[in-house]
Amino acid sequence: MTAETPPSRKTVSDDDTELIRAINAGHAERFPDLVRRYEQKLYNFGRRMCRNESDAEDLVQDTLLNVFRYLNEFRYETKFKNWLYRVAANTCLKKRRRSKFAPEPELSLEELARPEEAETLEQVPEWARMPLEQLLNEELLETLNQAIWSLPEKYRIVMILRDVEEFSTEETAQILNLSPANVKVRLHRARLFLRDRLKGYFSHDL
Amino acid sequence: MTCKPDDHRHCLELFSKLSEYIDREMDEAELREIDAHITECLACLSCLQSLKQTIALCKQTGLQPVPAVFSQKLHSMVQDLQRSR
Repeated sequence: MTAETPPSRKTVSDDDTELIRAINAGHAERFPDLVRRYEQKLYNFGRRMCRNESDAEDLVQDTLLNVFRYLNEFRYETKFKNWLYRVAANTCLKKRRRSKFAPEPELSLEELARPEEAETLEQVPEWARMPLEQLLNEELLETLNQAIWSLPEKYRIVMILRDVEEFSTEETAQILNLSPANVKVRLHRARLFLRDRLKGYFSHDL
Repeated sequence: MTCKPDDHRHCLELFSKLSEYIDREMDEAELREIDAHITECLACLSCLQSLKQTIALCKQTGLQPVPAVFSQKLHSMVQDLQRSR
């Protein structure tokens, strides 16, 4: 009887693979290339996750420290970017768990499904029909950023990964170690919460 | 036109699936059901359009540059890490 060989694992190759393989082969001098490649994305991820700028900077530093420490455990079974965001998300969520004791609030679909529109609506609101370029300004972006920071963290991180970083549902589920169904539920509630905030903003301004 | 009160439960069911509809992450039959519903229900159409606009706005929040001082700090940290290896 022959011993069974383990199934070969699928590896993923992308623009980062050569660099990561080089670093893992001992060329640590190329690590700064990786930092240059991702520092802006990580910084912006941090700024969206953390209202406080120094918390965002800590998140970037701690993430890069963890990447430096654990990069040799990367198995090329996913895109490096996805693995990097998994490290960043874990770093972020661990930090918050250490600093907060109160459980995070849940967003309820029933509360977000307010029926008032059905009673008074005569047409789709103007803000929802306007071209984005006419709608966008600094004040609106500030309102949106404030709304994003107001989201409970477990919803915020899903919304950022899906709608800002544009990871797929499957990728987001892998990054956060959630089921795809759970990602969909959190994403929908996060979007409804933000829509509610924007509705409030536009009801005063338009 | 908006739905009759009897249809409100149906609206709420669809309401819970609007993101999946926007992301095209549902089967054809469900997509067609919502396609048909929003042609008749202004409340759901309004919700759909405002949700789509919200998502579009989130994608426009843009990338800020990394502050130069912080970038320098990061690269010094990396140099220290390399030296310590």
